[in-house]
This record gives sequence, structure tokens and C-alpha cells, in this order.
Amino acid sequence: MVLADLGRKITSALQSLSKATIINEEVLNGMLKEICAALLEADVNIRLVKKLRENVRAVIDFEEIAGGLNKRRMIQSAVFKELVKLVDPGVKPYQPVKGRPNVIMFVGLQGSGKTTTCTKLAYHYLKKNWKSCLVCADTFRAGAYDQVKQNCTKARIPFYGSYTEVDPVVIAQDGVDMFKKEGFEIIIVDTSGRHKQEESLFEEMLAVSNAVGPDNIIFVMDATIGQACEGQAKAFKEKVDVGSVIITKLDGHAKGGGALSAVAATNSPIIFIGTGEHIDDLESFKTKPFVSKLLGMGDIEGLIDK
Amino acid sequence: MFSIFKGLVGSKNLNKNDMIPVLEKMKDHLISKNVAADIAIKLCDSVAAKLEGKVLGTFDSVATTVKNTITESLVQILSPKRRVDILRDCMEAQKQNRPYVMTFCGVNGVGKSTNLAKICFWLIENNMSVLIAACDTFRAGAVEQLRTHMKHLNALHPRDRHGGIEMVQLYEKGYGKDAAGIAMEAIKHAHRENIDVVLIDTAGRMQDNEPLMRALTKLIRVNEPDLVLFVGEALVGNEAVDQLVKFNQAMADYSSNSDPHIIDGIVLTKFDTIDDKVGAAISMTYITGQPIVFVGTGQTYTDLKALNAKAVVHALMK
Ligand SMILES: Nc1nc2c(ncn2[C@@H]2O[C@H](COP(=O)(O)OP(=O)(O)OP(=O)(O)O)[C@@H](O)[C@H]2O)c(=O)[nH]1
Ligand SMILES: Nc1nc2c(ncn2[C@@H]2O[C@H](COP(=O)(O)OP(=O)(O)OP(=O)(O)O)[C@@H](O)[C@H]2O)c(=O)[nH]1
Ligand SMILES: [Mg+2]
Ligand SMILES: [Mg+2]
Repeated sequence: MVLADLGRKITSALQSLSKATIINEEVLNGMLKEICAALLEADVNIRLVKKLRENVRAVIDFEEIAGGLNKRRMIQSAVFKELVKLVDPGVKPYQPVKGRPNVIMFVGLQGSGKTTTCTKLAYHYLKKNWKSCLVCADTFRAGAYDQVKQNCTKARIPFYGSYTEVDPVVIAQDGVDMFKKEGFEIIIVDTSGRHKQEESLFEEMLAVSNAVGPDNIIFVMDATIGQACEGQAKAFKEKVDVGSVIITKLDGHAKGGGALSAVAATNSPIIFIGTGEHIDDLESFKTKPFVSKLLGMGDIEGLIDK
Repeated sequence: MFSIFKGLVGSKNLNKNDMIPVLEKMKDHLISKNVAADIAIKLCDSVAAKLEGKVLGTFDSVATTVKNTITESLVQILSPKRRVDILRDCMEAQKQNRPYVMTFCGVNGVGKSTNLAKICFWLIENNMSVLIAACDTFRAGAVEQLRTHMKHLNALHPRDRHGGIEMVQLYEKGYGKDAAGIAMEAIKHAHRENIDVVLIDTAGRMQDNEPLMRALTKLIRVNEPDLVLFVGEALVGNEAVDQLVKFNQAMADYSSNSDPHIIDGIVLTKFDTIDDKVGAAISMTYITGQPIVFVGTGQTYTDLKALNAKAVVHALMK
């Protein structure tokens, strides 16, 4: 689970504060070192980690604060504020509205899990009795339309695509128009994988976005990604109006810390996580409850609020 | 007088404390380039051990000495101890009247099928006929993906340019079937039809998924491919280590063979998406000691390169 392991390591680092008889700069540095190492091992962006360390240090002035207990509490709450910042961009995700079309466009790097997650999301809404469907606007990847077709057929999700049309903008527009006319509520647009280094692919993404005018753009990120995430996520956000993040492949061993930098870079919350290859391996992600669960780990909530 | 002079520019023995701040910076630098954290630490530790007590040259600073030593280690890590010469081995197999068999494995979505198709292109450019075995019988569209590549590749290398021979064929049995069995049939088919190379595509799987890892081990055990390639993406962070360790471990543990076949080499994909954050190349080779046989640098058939160790190290140290 995202950050769960990390939460434990951080709890143990914070406990070193409780064990220390006096709290001085050395103790603080030791603890910060432990926390930063844990963050880096979880692939959290190194710039974010350094910032976290600086921000915590900036709050703690050993000259000024007196009592040991006070110091402990200040340090702990400073650490947690910073951790919360990592997962919580402080904005609400887009909420689809019943009874009208909600166009949701998927974007992301190659192989991150867009197509699989598109079907999962359509299915998620289908089960809740929304009229949902899928448009395959990936004309590049070999077998992309077959993938959508097979997934959707199995899950009984209406879909639109073409074997002959090569322009994804045309397909996206036609598909969305058609489904809007037919009164669909959740219209999901799958797109090709792309990366910031290839400008033409980014232009194509913008063109698709302009053509369908999505209500929400979801950036899909693979949980195993390392330090390259931030640059890519930022570039996607600069090109199109990314509003939410989904982290996939969290059923593996990955902690998802790298993918978290997509939250900071796009200033968008995580709304779902992918936990497997099957259609129902999708879990809703709510930032606030997650954070309080993280805070609740170990004895931390107690430590901060007292 | 002389002793003061010596203190200023003379030789000096390096001790660990002098190196700590430099090494600390170096470690962070490597991590920022996407080298896995514990590998960055191990690298720095080994440099410290190597340099401790060494006499520093007159004009060398601690920083440049550490930097040079790290650079040397990195070049060494990336320099293959063993060459994988696929074309030579294919010709060897031809002489023995049998197909040369390669298996591609790795976690989900890293680029196994696409880079298999690129390697197929490279093989047919070198006049080898290829049979692609569609052994991903799970993921939707996996078979059609390979069929599309086969069609494109045959269009690029039509029969009339190869004495009437169809250069690429697909062996597929649809979805849901046992991958090891299909691979076996494909190899037999290639044998019968005198096809030079068999490329086995497998489904992506997470390294912790025991049933799927057992199935992969079985495929390798019963079919004894000539080459097992692990496909990993350059985007991967610390997970690179866990993936490789566990793929190797599974192939060793779940094989009843006393001399199990583990990973022979690495295909490093999506190298075009990471700018200078090339650290995954180090993580992967450090862990396995196996060479990076191919680097994937894009989504077309020609985007397949050999690793340039010097360039990678240069990008890392920049
Ligand atoms: N284990 C696991 N695998 C996943 C998950 N989500 C997607 N996958 C797998 O990841 C691989 C790539 O998924 P796709 O949906 O094809 O990725 P994509 O982003 O559409 O890829 P492109 O269209 O080529 O850019 C497939 O093997 C999926 O089954 C997940 O949450 N867990
Ligand atoms: N930019 C870039 N994209 C690549 C490269 N290699 C593969 N891809 C893309 O990555 C995506 C996934 O590739 P696949 O070959 O389907 O990956 P896979 O490992 O076979 O995926 P599964 O079989 O689902 O596990 C596709 O969109 C490919 O075009 C590369 O070197 N560079
Ligand atoms: Mg896709
Ligand atoms: Mg594949």
C-alpha cells in the first residue's frame, strides 16, 4: 500500500525522539536522516525529500524552544505536516454528475496502465448504475483497439474505436459525440502512451483534449517509477489540464513513492489505485482518510494532538 | 618551515572523515539520477574502502579523487564481463539444424512485446527468419499486438526480397492456454519449418506473484531457451533491484533443476523518456552482473541500440 511501509519506518524514527533523554540538534539530525533514507528508498523525489528536511529544520530553533516535551511535539508535527503535503495537494477531485455526460480523458507514459484502468473505471461506474462507456483514441500502439474491445466485451461496456481511422482526434471526437447523443453519463477516452521528449505526441494529446473538452483528465502513473516521474508529470500538467492521478500496479512490491511526486507536480489528488490486472482490482483513494490512517499508525496521532 | 610547506601542497593520506561530506553529496547525486538508494550507498562505501589510507597526489582534491574513483567503478559495472553475441549464436544453432530460442520476461507494461518486435526486425535485417510465439495468453489484445507487428515486419521485408520465404511468422493459440505448452509447440514448429529463431513473448507479471512466477519458471525449464532476457524500463526506481533479485530467485527456487537457467541479459527500455536520469542501468547491472544486451530508445523498429557505457557514465556524473 502507498506509504504504509514508509509510515512504519517514520513512526519508528519518530519514536527515537521519545527515547532520547535530551533533544538536541544531533538527535534531530539523526531522526531526519532516518526519515529521508526511508523516503528515498520508497522513490520519493529527492528534491521533495530535501525540501522536507529543510522545512522541518526551519521550524525547529533550538535556541528558542525550551522544554523537551515541547520540542518533541514540534518536531513530530512538523514532520507530519510535511508528509501530508506529499499526498494531499489540498484540492478536491472532480466529481462526476449524474444525468449528464462526464467526459474523462486518460493520459500518461507508455505502459503505465491507462487502457487497463480505463476499463476498470468504466466498470466501477457501471456497477453503480451509471451509463458508462469507453472510446479508444489510441491509434498508435499495435493491438490497442483489440485490447479495448476484448476488455469491454468481457465487462459488457459499450465502446467505440476504429481499425481504419488513423487520427486519434477524429475518433475521440466522433466517439464522444456519439455517446453524448446516446445519453451516456461516464464517457472515458483512452489515449496512447506518450512522453515529454516527443513534442508531436504532446501536441496530439492537446488536440484530443481540445476536441473532446474533458471534464477531468486523469494522469496514470506506474507505482514503480523512480526519479523521472516529476519531470514527466510536470510536462503533462503544463500541456493539458490534469485534474486527478491514479497510481497503478500497487499489488506488487513497489511503495509508490515515486508516483507521489505526480501529486505535487500536477497539484492533483490521487483518486484511485490499481491493485492488479483484473477488472475489479481498483480501489478508491481518499486523501483525508488515508492521511489520518497514516497519522494513526503507531501512536502518532496521540503524540501530536496532546 | 619545510613541514609547513608540506602541509600546504604536499601529499596527504586520505581518511574516512575527509571523504564523508564528498561521499554524502555523491550519494545524493546518484540517487537524483535514479540509482537505487542502497546501491548508491554501497557504491560510495566501496569507494571509501578503496581510497582509505591512499596518498593523495599533490594537486588532487578529495572531491576529484572520489569522483574519479566512482567514475571508474561505474564504467566497470556497466562493462559486460561476458558478451552476448546473438547473431553468432543464431548461426551456430543453424549449423546444428535447430532454432535459436529467446524468451522475454519482466513485470507489466515495461515493453517486452514491443522490444521483441524490434529485435525481430533486427534479426530479419540480418537475414534470420523468425517465429514469434504468442505466450502471453492473458492480457487482452496481446496476441493481436504481435500479429500487427508480424504484418508490419513482413511488409518491410517482403517475400520476394528473401527468396520467397516469409521472414516472420506468428505461432498463437489464442487466450487462456498454458504458455509453456504453446512455447514448446512453437519451437517444434520452427524446427520442422527450418525457421532460424523463436522469440517467446510472455505475459507481464509482478515479481511477488508466486503462481505466475512458477509458470514462468516452468516455461523456461521445459523449453530450455538459449537466452532468457529480462526486460526492464529505465523509468523504474528502487524496484529495479527487487524485480531482478526476485525473478532470478524464482527461476532458481521453483526449478527442480540443479543448474537452473536464470537471467542471461537485460533489455533496458524507454531510455528515451528519462533525460539524464540513467541510474536504472547501474541498478540493474550491479544487481545481476548481467549485461544490458539492448537498449530501447523509442517506439519504432529502429529504436534499438547497444549500451554506450561511457555515455551513460558521463550522464550520471554530470
Ligand atoms: N499487476 C498489475 N498490472 C497492471 C495494473 N494496471 C495495469 N497493469 C498491467 O500493466 C500492463 C500495461 O497496461 P496497459 O493498460 O496496456 O497500459 P497503457 O498505459 O494503456 O499502455 P500504452 O497504451 O501502451 O501506453 C498490462 O500488462 C496490464 O495488465 C495493476 O494495477 N497491477
Ligand atoms: N518511449 C518508449 N516507449 C516504449 C519503448 N519500448 C516500449 N515502449 C512502449 O511501452 C508500451 C508498453 O509496451 P509493451 O511492449 O506492450 O509492454 P509489455 O511489457 O509487453 O506489456 P505487457 O505485456 O502488458 O506486460 C507501449 O506503448 C510501447 O510502445 C521505448 O523504448 N521507448
Ligand atoms: Mg493503452
Ligand atoms: Mg506484452
